[in-house]
Amino acid sequence: MKLTRHRGVLEEFWKNFRKNKLAVAGGLIVLLFICLALFAPILSTANPVEQFKSPSGERHPLPPISRSDDGHLFLLGSDRYGRDIFSRALFGTRSMLKLAVGAVGISFIIGVALGAVAGYNRSSWIDELIMRFVDILLSFPALVLAIALVGALGLGETVIFGLRFSNMFKIMLVIAITYSPRFARVMRSVVLQEMSEDYVAAAKVIGASGTRIVVKEVFINTIPPIMVQASLMMAETVLISASLSFLGLGLQPPQASLGVMLNEARDYLFQGSWWYAVVPGVFISLAILGFNFLGDGLRDSVDPRQARRVGR
Amino acid sequence: MGVYILKRLILAIPTLIVASIIIFLLVHIAPGDPVRVMLGPIQDQVLVERLQQKLGLDLPLHEQYLTWLGNLLRGDLGISISVQRGAPVAELIAERYMVTLELALLAMTVALLIAIPTGILSALRQNKLTDHISRVVALIGISIPNFFVGILLILFFGVVLLKTWGAGGFVPIQEGLGANLQRMILPAIALGTSYSAIVMRMMRSSMLDVMSKDYVRTARAMGVKRWSVIRQDIVRNALIPVVTVIGNSIGYLLGGSVVTESVFRLPGIGNLVINAVYRRDFPVIQAVVLIIVLLRILVNLVVDLMYAKLDPRIQYTSSE
Repeated sequence: MKLTRHRGVLEEFWKNFRKNKLAVAGGLIVLLFICLALFAPILSTANPVEQFKSPSGERHPLPPISRSDDGHLFLLGSDRYGRDIFSRALFGTRSMLKLAVGAVGISFIIGVALGAVAGYNRSSWIDELIMRFVDILLSFPALVLAIALVGALGLGETVIFGLRFSNMFKIMLVIAITYSPRFARVMRSVVLQEMSEDYVAAAKVIGASGTRIVVKEVFINTIPPIMVQASLMMAETVLISASLSFLGLGLQPPQASLGVMLNEARDYLFQGSWWYAVVPGVFISLAILGFNFLGDGLRDSVDPRQARRVGR
Repeated sequence: MGVYILKRLILAIPTLIVASIIIFLLVHIAPGDPVRVMLGPIQDQVLVERLQQKLGLDLPLHEQYLTWLGNLLRGDLGISISVQRGAPVAELIAERYMVTLELALLAMTVALLIAIPTGILSALRQNKLTDHISRVVALIGISIPNFFVGILLILFFGVVLLKTWGAGGFVPIQEGLGANLQRMILPAIALGTSYSAIVMRMMRSSMLDVMSKDYVRTARAMGVKRWSVIRQDIVRNALIPVVTVIGNSIGYLLGGSVVTESVFRLPGIGNLVINAVYRRDFPVIQAVVLIIVLLRILVNLVVDLMYAKLDPRIQYTSSE
């Protein structure tokens, strides 16, 4: 009796993925952003916190393709302190992706563990307890919960139960707590669906243990739907971390952060320094767009029949 | 129906209690003693102890919670520590909630005006050019954060705004609806466009779902005109799940309005909570979060009841 069907699942998934233009476009955008983040130190034209002097008679922020007093070229303009916006955007992308990957990773671990336990013990009190709690956390709007948690932990570095957390890690945790209920829910429904499949029954018949079934058989088949969720979650995480930074509750200046840059640019909108706000805004939007395209396309690849019927 | 409503109301109570416990505990995961945080640089031991006693922070945790809950039920949301020292939190919220409510409602109106027609059109022309374009535009709409939409609007209309707005940004509704709307329309568009993308996608897939049903084919086969089937059967039935989505995403609108208020400097409860976080005004944070969660749970309840009314197949006596 053949128990593994994971090769089939993943192969089919990949085949469908390549046919989906939206998913491929999203994947390319995501890839571009990963490269920008990884190679920020090489690609940047200046130190992101270095302040250049403006040429005499002119004041920062300077528009794109202008030069500082000592001849530094501002590709995408300068900000109010005379820092290079292009370089700041690159390093901002770096911290944005680092934060998002960390947050999604942590919420993935919490959510998948909770969801798998709940799904495997379907309809028991464990399932009931976990899912009730998940439902209650879901009744908090994501951004509101994140704001409340930041409110409790305070801005900047924090100490919880004697452990020191950097600001970056604290925000990662806040976002992870906010999103883990969603992962838990998806994971539970995926496990439930897989548990009713014949191959699980077959594995049970030949005497495989519960843990073995979940880890070895069910897990492989949950990869595609989890990837969909992870990609969509990356989009949301980027959005929420940018919102927090924009509100002044996330990454703190002078660290290069796209949300902080947008916040600083607000005071310069009426005087027409459009590049100051547009550059970080476009970076944030494009990154979210990439993850949304990818996630949406992946979803169609997971279940093309459903996609055709509902017409997504 | 009465029994069903009662059942749902009773089921909402444990949810509310656990949510209130979570919000209550927020203060207690805070690093350091909340009193010391409140006092800031003044760290006098006698003062700390006196304040702890006054706020009941020397009591065991469960007694503190019960006192807090009891006060809440009597409408006492506590006293602001730092945003407006000594002011009752309930008063601070009463001064501001109208702005947030108005913004959310206007944004929803903007969203529905865009989303419902586009969703219908997209579904009727499934996989044609119109459909592809509106779907891609919707995905782009979801991807642009509403604060960036707001900033772009300010950039585009900056000169006009400076003339009409002058220095101040906001006019309360009591001082003239026209002037008020003039200042609320851009925030409503900023918040509404990203939300409309979500509703549009839902409307489209719901339409397609209904269109594949047997009764639609039967109606067409019986010679009922295409447009009257669309109007009377498809759109009406397709709207049912959309209503649920609209209700459930009230949280999205409330969360989004926090950011939008900040962009346009509107004096709503979003602005209040941000200020409270800056200054670590715990009673204000707790009260605002509690109200938003309460509102969301209530709206969900109402939506569920409406859903039951709209869809006769749902039994009021079901155990759910």
